[in-house]
Amino acid sequence: MIAGSMLSYEGKKRTVLLLIALGVAVWIGVDAAAGGAAHWNRVLVRLPLLLTGSVSGWPITGGFALNVILSIASMALATALGTMMGLATLARFGPIRVPAFLLMNFLRNSPWLVLLFATLYFLPFEMHVFGTTIPFPPFVKAVIGLALPTAANFSEVIRGAVQSIHSGQWEAARSLGYGTGQIYRHVIMPQALRRMIPGWTNLYALLMIATALATVTGIQDVLTILNTLLAMENERVIVYFYLTILFLFIAYCYPIAAVARWRERAVKGESL
Amino acid sequence: MNRTDALIELDNVRKSFGDLPVLKGISMFVQKGEAVCIIGPSGSGKSTILRCINGLIPVDEGFVRVGEHRVHEMRSEKQMRTLRHQVAMVFQQYNLFPHRTALENIMMAPIQVLGHDRAEVEERARKLLKKVRLSEKAESYPGQLSGGQQQRVAIARALAMQPDVILFDEVTAALDPETVKDVLFAIRELVEEGLTCILVTHEMKFAREVSQRVCFTDHGLIVESAPPAELFDNPRDPRTREFLGQVL
Repeated sequence: MIAGSMLSYEGKKRTVLLLIALGVAVWIGVDAAAGGAAHWNRVLVRLPLLLTGSVSGWPITGGFALNVILSIASMALATALGTMMGLATLARFGPIRVPAFLLMNFLRNSPWLVLLFATLYFLPFEMHVFGTTIPFPPFVKAVIGLALPTAANFSEVIRGAVQSIHSGQWEAARSLGYGTGQIYRHVIMPQALRRMIPGWTNLYALLMIATALATVTGIQDVLTILNTLLAMENERVIVYFYLTILFLFIAYCYPIAAVARWRERAVKGESL
Repeated sequence: MNRTDALIELDNVRKSFGDLPVLKGISMFVQKGEAVCIIGPSGSGKSTILRCINGLIPVDEGFVRVGEHRVHEMRSEKQMRTLRHQVAMVFQQYNLFPHRTALENIMMAPIQVLGHDRAEVEERARKLLKKVRLSEKAESYPGQLSGGQQQRVAIARALAMQPDVILFDEVTAALDPETVKDVLFAIRELVEEGLTCILVTHEMKFAREVSQRVCFTDHGLIVESAPPAELFDNPRDPRTREFLGQVL
């Protein structure tokens, strides 16, 4: 009681997290002693397969590594699309701004899984453009399907960052004779970019978590492999496998979220 | 073409923000090389007058001319740009670009807007920093400078455009008292060198010392306009008298 009141908010949070981690560790230890160790052993045997899609761990054909690759590819596409969409929602010209605004809101307010299914069924298996054939394998569809909502959310990050720049910056730049495009390029964007980093990082962590949804496209991601694999395993082992997958995602995403929070604090401290 | 030989001419300028009329028929002339101070209570439209001169705020009605530029006829940002090469502005909140050093702040616009040669601009910028007594702060970022130092960099940035006119919008209002005098000193030098200046200010003593003419504004009108000795010592309008009674 006394110790609790002496701790800061951050200190309390850290204590609670530590207690939870400790509880989980104790539970795993007790369970392992009571016969769970054999189940963990099964997981360990299958871990290379879950991580890389190959029984021996090499070459990488899927698994958690594919989730990572998917998240990176999708984020790259989302960043490009989101930048265009974000700038379009900032345009003064109505015929550009309004459609971009509607599209952004549509994508932002649709369930990610529904968008993924939509791209899965709307996009053809391949496309013929001027004699060349562009194939759309499930992986590409997954990249696009996950990039759409991420792009919409990123465009809001951009819009927020740009609009958070003090209006005096616009006034000063305009009074120096800068044109609108130049103001964005030389004055607004360099400042807004720093403010986007926390939001962008956060969004990436969210996207990584959402790659688990891509199992519906049939790619050999960690969940697809798990489902195939579980058919051959004892039913009691299932929970151990799911715990492992959960831990994989947490282990990958938590440091990213931590970096985002750290950047956020750094940006907050900056004054104009 | 021009109705008078004044460098800046405003005739019956009106401007409303929504239902709120801010300027209700402003007329004034500023000769080349003249320093004119605009004083008056808050909300009387002082800052709006300045922003109408360089087109940051489009006027609703009336005539605004700076040199050859008929500002009231300009409809797009693009048309305003050559006007703004001629008319520089210094703001109450400095509005330096925080991601660039003091020197870069001064050099940016001449290079990026006017397309001047970088080496030549840098030489000019360093001279200007020396002029505002901040040579040693060239590599500092705005966040590392005091308010008074930032404001002097902002003055140097305005001068780097080699303007015909500089508009000063309450440039000492946000400053600590001890840094005000450095900024006023820098402005006084410019006035003495014959640069045309229009200053919105609350520094009555400074207005009296530095300007050739003082305009008193109240409720969107220029109530009285006279040389400082006359306006401060023998104000003719009762509103001017009341205002001066409050601030002096």
